[in-house]
Amino acid sequence: MDRREFLKTGGILSAGTVCASTLPLLPICASKTASVEESSDGCKYGMVIDLRKCKADCTACIEACRKENNVALHGNKRWDVHLIRKVTVQRVYPVRAKEQKSVPLLCNQCDEPPCAQACPVQATYKRPDGIVIVDQHRCIGCRYCMIACPYNARYFNYKEADDWPNKDQPRSMHGVPESCNFCAHRLDRGEKPACVEACEKSGAGAIVVGNLNDPGSEVSRLIVNNSVKGIREDLGTKPKVYYIGL
Amino acid sequence: METKFETIEGKSIQFYLLVLGLALLIVPGLYSTYRMYDEGIYLSGMTNRIPWGLQIILCVFYIGASAGSLVISSLYGIFGKKEYKPFARIAVYLALLFLIAALLSILTDLGRLDNLKASASHFNFLSMLSINPFLYNTYILICIVYLWAMLQEKEKFVRVIALVAVIWAVLVHSGTGAIFGFVPRELYQSALLPPSFIAAALSSGTALMILVILAVFRVTRRPLDHELVVRLGRLLAVFIVVVLYFLFVENAYRLYLEQSREAAMYFLFDPFNGTLFWGGLVIVGCIIPAVVLFNPATGKSIPWIICASILTVFGVLCERYLIVIPGQTHPPDLFPNMEIVKSVVDEGAVHYTATIHEVFQAVGVLAIVGFCFVLGLRFLKLMPTEARIHK
Repeated sequence: MDRREFLKTGGILSAGTVCASTLPLLPICASKTASVEESSDGCKYGMVIDLRKCKADCTACIEACRKENNVALHGNKRWDVHLIRKVTVQRVYPVRAKEQKSVPLLCNQCDEPPCAQACPVQATYKRPDGIVIVDQHRCIGCRYCMIACPYNARYFNYKEADDWPNKDQPRSMHGVPESCNFCAHRLDRGEKPACVEACEKSGAGAIVVGNLNDPGSEVSRLIVNNSVKGIREDLGTKPKVYYIGL
Repeated sequence: METKFETIEGKSIQFYLLVLGLALLIVPGLYSTYRMYDEGIYLSGMTNRIPWGLQIILCVFYIGASAGSLVISSLYGIFGKKEYKPFARIAVYLALLFLIAALLSILTDLGRLDNLKASASHFNFLSMLSINPFLYNTYILICIVYLWAMLQEKEKFVRVIALVAVIWAVLVHSGTGAIFGFVPRELYQSALLPPSFIAAALSSGTALMILVILAVFRVTRRPLDHELVVRLGRLLAVFIVVVLYFLFVENAYRLYLEQSREAAMYFLFDPFNGTLFWGGLVIVGCIIPAVVLFNPATGKSIPWIICASILTVFGVLCERYLIVIPGQTHPPDLFPNMEIVKSVVDEGAVHYTATIHEVFQAVGVLAIVGFCFVLGLRFLKLMPTEARIHK
């Protein structure tokens, strides 16, 4: 091969590579059309958790969630599914505080959900009302959503659950991930999510779910009138679960 | 003189034993995969914190090996270096098999294999895991056409398809890097991952090709000009230096920036990760082989080149582990300036250990590659009668 031929081949090769490298840009152009249509006047669900009202030793919301959504509990840390989990946090910087706070963690129903972006088959998607949900009959169980979620809010059904307390809801099946979906089935029927109901019954009333697009709704008023914080808002995922007193 | 290709004879008892042995190794893998399909992948060592394990590590490794082999074949296919023609067919065939192995690794790892049809009917343009299977499947097709063109001795067409294949391999690699790089996790998120993936692919692929070439020529007792292997060794040395460079830039960047320093410290100096990184990847996997290959005395000796190639493959395996696992075991900082003192799950750093079922699956996939490779040599005209440099 002489030098001219080498340059020619090399030129074609690099030109081809450059052209081909622009291929991954296609999805970005397509993304505008691919996302679900949203109307600003429609409903967009959000949640506010008032940590001042949440009692450290109370697990009413977690238990109600387990019953309502058939959330598997095997007694093994590796496989237990927690659509809501409570963690205790303590400030360590800039001052080391003695006070500990109990924080319920759940799926943040991000407005820019990395899990839905990652799902190869659109089994995880954002509904027009902002709820991020998994279609368990389409999911192939690749777990890329769990990799993509920066909150570790997704749990995988590594194992089939033995019990099936709520027969109105599908039994949890192995091979698919789960996360909180604000009890979308209950919201669709006009009821409150199981955790909200249980929290109210316990007398705390710390969790409120409602329409963020309605300025008169309780969530909207709580967000406007309090200093609220989402978890790791700096990641740009636009979480829709807000905390008062974090 | 034209290179002549032929099938191997494959009538010896050793040949049949090899085929049988490889076939038997597939069986435990099938058993484990069926059990996971039936009962759930709790049989693996994965957890809610570590949803990707051994199969993903190996998948990434196979994809790298695949592209590396393809580059060896392109030395002849694109740049017309006739002396590498004897290796061109084996290289493309291996590239094809490694990519199939990568796909099999993903398949054995899926939670719901029965829903797989959804990936054909529902496409997500935004998902790297949706774009990549498209790239992989097309790559497999390209490799098949490439191999066919070489078997039919269609020289001009080989030139064209070789070019297409190499460009596509670059895409496949960038895409695979993007699966990890384009994710908001501290130790994943990186624009450097796609190019450093290509570098590691080139080094591991070349190292594997050197080992395979030496093995098949020795076993089938064909003459092989050692100068050819020495030249491949020199190529490997250059690739290793590129890998080191990318490692340096990426980690220096993470260490330098305050926001990622804690994660970088975990990656570089956690007892297990640190041992794999400094011991396995940097010293054993890069520096020693590079010194061996660049040194004029050892770089021309076949046993030393074999040694360097094995170390390189080991180093890239460590690198693949370090890409996939620490990004998951490192805890995300959910509450900046706060500490999680109590939780029902493990919120801190966790550990991953593969189970015997995952090992069965991994061995099974590797055995499938070996099985198809041996049968390919038997039924396709892949092996040259000899490999010499003609002056």
